[in-house]
Amino acid sequence: MRILRLLWVGWKFHVKSLTLSAFFILTSILQPIIFASVAYFMFRTGAREGTLLYVALGAGMMGIWSSTLFGSGGAIQWQRWQGTLEYCIAVPPPFLLVILPLTLATATIGLYSLTATLVWGWLFFDVPLEVADPLAFAVALPVAVVGLGLLGLILASTFVMYRNANALSNLLEYPVWLVTGLLVSLSLMPGWVGPISWVLAPTWGVNALREAAIAGNPWPEIGMCLVLGAVYLVIGHFALQHFERLARERATLSLT
Amino acid sequence: MTNARVFFVGGYLSYRALFNWMHWSYYVPTMLGAPIFQILFFAYIGRYAQVKDDEFFVVGNAVQLSSMAGIYGMAMTVGGERWTQTLSPLMATPASRLPLFLGRALPLIANGIITSAFAFVVGWLLLDFELGAREIPALAVVVAVSAFACTSLGLVVGSLGLRVRDVFFLANAVVYSLLLFCGVNIPLESLPNWMEAVGRSLPLTHGIEAARAIADGATLGSVDHLIWTELGIGGAYAAVAYALFRFFEIEGRRRATLETI
Amino acid sequence: MAVVEAIDLHRTYRTSTGTFRRKWKDVEAVRGVSFEIGEGELFGLLGPNGAGKTTTIKMLITLLIPTSGTARVLGHDVVKDAREVRKSIGYVFGGERGVYERLSGYDNLRYFAELYGVPPKRIRPRIDELLELVGLRGREQERAEGYSRGMKQRLHIARGLLHDPPVVFLDEPTIGLDPIGARELRATVASLAQAGKTILLTTHYMFEADALCDRIAVINRGQIVAEGTPADLKQRVADGTVVEVEVFGVPEGTVKRVRGLSGVLSVSVEEREQAQVIIVQTRADVELTQGILGTLDGANVGRISRREPTLEDAYVALVAEQ
Repeated sequence: MRILRLLWVGWKFHVKSLTLSAFFILTSILQPIIFASVAYFMFRTGAREGTLLYVALGAGMMGIWSSTLFGSGGAIQWQRWQGTLEYCIAVPPPFLLVILPLTLATATIGLYSLTATLVWGWLFFDVPLEVADPLAFAVALPVAVVGLGLLGLILASTFVMYRNANALSNLLEYPVWLVTGLLVSLSLMPGWVGPISWVLAPTWGVNALREAAIAGNPWPEIGMCLVLGAVYLVIGHFALQHFERLARERATLSLT
Repeated sequence: MTNARVFFVGGYLSYRALFNWMHWSYYVPTMLGAPIFQILFFAYIGRYAQVKDDEFFVVGNAVQLSSMAGIYGMAMTVGGERWTQTLSPLMATPASRLPLFLGRALPLIANGIITSAFAFVVGWLLLDFELGAREIPALAVVVAVSAFACTSLGLVVGSLGLRVRDVFFLANAVVYSLLLFCGVNIPLESLPNWMEAVGRSLPLTHGIEAARAIADGATLGSVDHLIWTELGIGGAYAAVAYALFRFFEIEGRRRATLETI
Repeated sequence: MAVVEAIDLHRTYRTSTGTFRRKWKDVEAVRGVSFEIGEGELFGLLGPNGAGKTTTIKMLITLLIPTSGTARVLGHDVVKDAREVRKSIGYVFGGERGVYERLSGYDNLRYFAELYGVPPKRIRPRIDELLELVGLRGREQERAEGYSRGMKQRLHIARGLLHDPPVVFLDEPTIGLDPIGARELRATVASLAQAGKTILLTTHYMFEADALCDRIAVINRGQIVAEGTPADLKQRVADGTVVEVEVFGVPEGTVKRVRGLSGVLSVSVEEREQAQVIIVQTRADVELTQGILGTLDGANVGRISRREPTLEDAYVALVAEQ
């Protein structure tokens, strides 16, 4: 019970803190809009038939991933820079319970990106905003966010250790967009990409959203997302413990 | 003589200062790793959406990648100066502004060319893209010119950084906009007229057009009007940047806002 | 049972230089520090900047793992039982950083109250109490980024006390505060001690340690060089005299020459406005004024005075060793 309270209070706290960070929010909205526009134009120009909603959801998920990636990794670095990382470690609860609300919050902020992408598409590119199964959609969305937030947990645990982990976050944006099939069907890629995509939450998240919105059965995808999330949680827990201890040994918690 | 020193030595040292904290473990992923995936990403979308061919995307993105160092580097040069509060002492030096800042441009342009070259190699290795040896020097010229033009744009962003609170955000916005307006991944003719007009007033657009023509077999001479346009655009932005800089400098002295972050 | 035990603590840092070919260097910041703090004691760790105070405290509050040695708080090992330790301690580092800038002081406290496990019903009243105590009442809804340095410091203190911990660690808490604020803070620290809390305070202000602490350990270059009550430390220099000579431009080699005089206990030079002052601690039975002037070799001399040694002199003598 106490754990749930802690997660809830922490999540609210960080969502508020991130929302009030103009830079973060503007980037969360501007970048997805531009990338979505590029995607919309490309698909409109191209010969493939298909619904733009498919593209819109993919572009939206790109935004949620960017938020999570830069938020989770960047958040650690930003906390270090702000001087609050040490205070977050020397508290009674396990570090997991301090960082998890943070990564969940960054994924939640991704919803701003998704909304912006959809509205923008509807306004300027005739994207039809009709959802076939609203209930399933309403479930798929938070599940996708949680799934990504938990993936962000693993990212965050690596960044506790390394001061310059920002470089890694720069490197993980495009590849994840690519291998999780957000804008490109996985059938076009070499076979070995498939298994990689299966262990990444965005793959299932975007498919769940698409099945719920366009037509189909999203529930297996929702289930997979939850299962993966649980796996991430376990990995993240051990990774965080390990890295936190290393950080205390090697004194990389503060800037100096 | 002093100007030349300021140009070369100042530029080199500033580059070092900017990247001093950058271990190769940071540089490699950012400057070399990300480009690989950018090209793959857009090329695959192109294949899926059935737009153009691999060559279209390789050339477009490879040239665009030469702009990153220029825009971010220049924006950070001024934005970064302010942030680390070296701007005041710098402004107080008698060094002439032009060689000072152009000196900083040189390493960034070189950086851009290297990134571009790397991107072309990636496209050649991983995608359906062929490049004849004859075309390489011509492409190098085009990339250098585009990199210069983008660095000038970066200088404008940097000048705005004297007034704007967060120059990095502005730099981001500019880089993304280039992806949208300059025909990097979308053929210009597919864009609405007003967007095409915006694209033509930005750097990169004509460079990419020239590069694509060269990759298709055109000679350097046949695209020289595009190259001159690109150079002109670069010069224009440099002039705008210079004017902005002087304006903000004078105004900043008047209103004592130069140091406020 | 001692509340805080430090047993032969060592901590080495690795620093590196260079971008492409990194050179590693080991710096030993803490070299065998041991002390004990009893219940309800106000213990001072006193030393100049870079002496290892902050590193020592960070080991005790579980932020750093010692390279060797052990430490225990309330019987719990700081490495093996970190969680238990964290429940019972509060710490205040202070400084400009360390708060969530975009959010209000209240939000900051609310968040940490939850982290420290303050019972939900107690959170609001507790925060109000602490705001009153540190003098931030009325400003708590403003964004922390707008707080002055002193206000941030007070926010740090409030945060450290949220869960009413029995042991409190304060790292240079009055740094950056104006004199009135610093005085108020010292009063607060004293009242916490009176309430029965065990407190470890680090500072480089001698008078602060003298005024507040029951016992003091002087630390320099990673080692404890003296320990005892303020009275004990004063005793070290009690039989002696201090000669102060004001000089306009101390000639080279003077300090060495003065040190060479027999009966000299320590020599230091202080900058005071236009001149420098040579401060010489001597044994009580010798008269060294002429000797000192002799080493000055024709330099311009101002005031000369003799006085009783203070605790400050004891401290200087302990840490000024080259």
